[in-house]
Amino acid sequence: MQRLTTCGIDVGSSAIKVVILDDDADRGAELRATHLERIRRRAPQAVLAAALRSALATAKVDEGDLAYIASTGDGDVAEGVRTGHFYGMTCHARGGLFLEPRARSVLDVGALWARAIVIDPRARVLASRMTSQCAAGTGQFIENIARYLGVRLDEVGALAMTAARPEPVSGICAVLAETDVINMVSRGISTAEILRGIHESVAIRLVKLLRAAKGGTPVMVTGGLAGNAGLMATLRERLNDSGAETEVLTHPLSAHAGAIGAALWGAFRRRKLAAGSTLTPTALGAAPLTVGG
Amino acid sequence: MKLYLGVDLGSTTSKAVLVDGDEHVVGRGITNTRSNYDVAVEIARRDAMTDARLALALRLLGPDGAAIAEAFWVSADLARLDALRQSCRATAAAIPGEGPRLAPAVDVILARMVDEASQLFNATARSRGSFFRDIVGARFHALAEEQSARAGVDFERVLGVYDRAILDAENQLIDLPFDDVFAAAVAHAGLTGDRRAAALAAGRDAGAATFDVVGFVGTGYGRARLPFPRECIRSEILCHGLGAHAMLPATRTVLDIGGQDTKAIQVDGHGLVTSFQMNDRCAAGCGRYLGYIADELQLGLHELGPLALTSKRPSRITSTCTVFAGTEIRDLLAVGEKREDVLSGLHRAIITRAMSLLARSGGVTDQLTFTGGVARNQAAVNALDDMVRTHYGPRTINVHADSIYTGALGAALFARRGVPAEDLPDAKECAGCNA
Repeated sequence: MQRLTTCGIDVGSSAIKVVILDDDADRGAELRATHLERIRRRAPQAVLAAALRSALATAKVDEGDLAYIASTGDGDVAEGVRTGHFYGMTCHARGGLFLEPRARSVLDVGALWARAIVIDPRARVLASRMTSQCAAGTGQFIENIARYLGVRLDEVGALAMTAARPEPVSGICAVLAETDVINMVSRGISTAEILRGIHESVAIRLVKLLRAAKGGTPVMVTGGLAGNAGLMATLRERLNDSGAETEVLTHPLSAHAGAIGAALWGAFRRRKLAAGSTLTPTALGAAPLTVGG
Repeated sequence: MKLYLGVDLGSTTSKAVLVDGDEHVVGRGITNTRSNYDVAVEIARRDAMTDARLALALRLLGPDGAAIAEAFWVSADLARLDALRQSCRATAAAIPGEGPRLAPAVDVILARMVDEASQLFNATARSRGSFFRDIVGARFHALAEEQSARAGVDFERVLGVYDRAILDAENQLIDLPFDDVFAAAVAHAGLTGDRRAAALAAGRDAGAATFDVVGFVGTGYGRARLPFPRECIRSEILCHGLGAHAMLPATRTVLDIGGQDTKAIQVDGHGLVTSFQMNDRCAAGCGRYLGYIADELQLGLHELGPLALTSKRPSRITSTCTVFAGTEIRDLLAVGEKREDVLSGLHRAIITRAMSLLARSGGVTDQLTFTGGVARNQAAVNALDDMVRTHYGPRTINVHADSIYTGALGAALFARRGVPAEDLPDAKECAGCNA
């Protein structure tokens, strides 16, 4: 039980993340493989199977040698693969703290939802706020706009930052935005200005979320959109408009934070179970199955 | 003849209706809306004028009329196809390095489409609500796959040429002289001898008829962006109310589900609006909801309704937001729910949203007229019928064959009833015109 190899699976709505790590009781955890596979209209179960195979091959581990396979996110997809399922919020809290030990808030920005989570130094969740069931101003929203404008998703952030001024947009529906964008193009507004405006509106939404949760600094951004440097720069500007210095941090593995947290929780639970713990599974971060984590 | 023009510039389609002094419809035109609104409106207007002349000619022709009418629109589309071909040539030639190899490959594809024009642009294709761009786009895609393999050029590059060229071709106004197109149609219909002479004479008379547009009203999506003079603009709500009343005088409630918005309108016995509710901030409950889902499932929009109709057990869709619903159906399909059941559930979901709008506008007290693009979808009509019956008891639900023109007809009637026509939109000032 000194050293456990566990796997974490985070089933998001646009990508599936799989990580494999070694968790040492004294020295902490070390990542052995991280894999991210975008779903792109395929059956999520098949995407998960492929991602898991890749991660196992990278880590040079057999599935049978894993001490625990922990899932988070859309639990139904990982059914039949996982040992147990964990809440998305507790996974992002733990994964965020693993990537940035100083973090006091975690801002999880995914394709359909964003979550602001306030944590203590042991990754315990003190408070949280989540966006509603509307895709305006989400990652999928940015992705749709990029598609309407014919810009590659990994280029939108950088392109947005080349604009001198943002084109103001306010709370537009992610689907109706297509027409708004066509209107902007026909008014002669540049692609960069449109994207900058979109990034401003998303950043403002995230600031509201953080304020509502009363999140402390530094803020560790997790989820797929942490990799959008343009959005992060805009978020820093908007957060610090009021003068209070807030540090916004990201990590190259930010998108994997949920899966990392799941793998860490898996190791934690495996030890508790081995020790014959009387704690209920829920107290150990386990979740009843809910879609969307 | 004095005519009054109504134009409804929608987010998806632009419609034009011409009425005479007695408020009878004499011509209709419809095209897909493009980024240049002036061009979309002008094409719809010209098609309505052409339609009016064609109707005049056909009245004189009896049984030969139908064949000529079909051939007429094929000839018009051929002229558009020629413009697209020129645009493809210019676009391909301008690509540095690749041009000399791409241009011939693209031209072979267009030449084949010209050969297939009669089948491509026949009445069946048109009646499915497909426009020039839909028809040529689908065919180009299929032929490009064959041709790029054969000529050893990059498929994506070939499509890239087309994507740019169609935008140019679409935003060009092509002059289609009525007499020339009509003569080509008579030749195409294979008429000979006296019948040919009679047809040509009827065409000449129709072409020479003076149509004087003396009144104009524009309506439609994006109030601030309409290319109409301010005094000629009427609200969509008013136009839909009046148009629905003109088509079906017993109408007391209008439900319009368009591409970008949904409107529930209550009208009195004169077709004047007494109250209304509208949703234009969220795609759930609008036509775009179905469009988005069709894209997700890689189906054509016209395939959704017929598939949904085959369902016996509609799935329950819990998401309101279109994007969330897209993810939800992916999950439902992944766990083995049938495609038709999921689609049936989606049609119920879109109508559920409309029902709350109807309730807030004052409910359904008498005959309801269903308009907008979604009214052409039988699965949506059935869902509406079912839910109205459940909430309000048995009610007559009308779907008029020309319901897509409801807003434009209302606008034309407002024009007839006294909007001054000092400054009608002039084709010569049209920004998209290359003349």
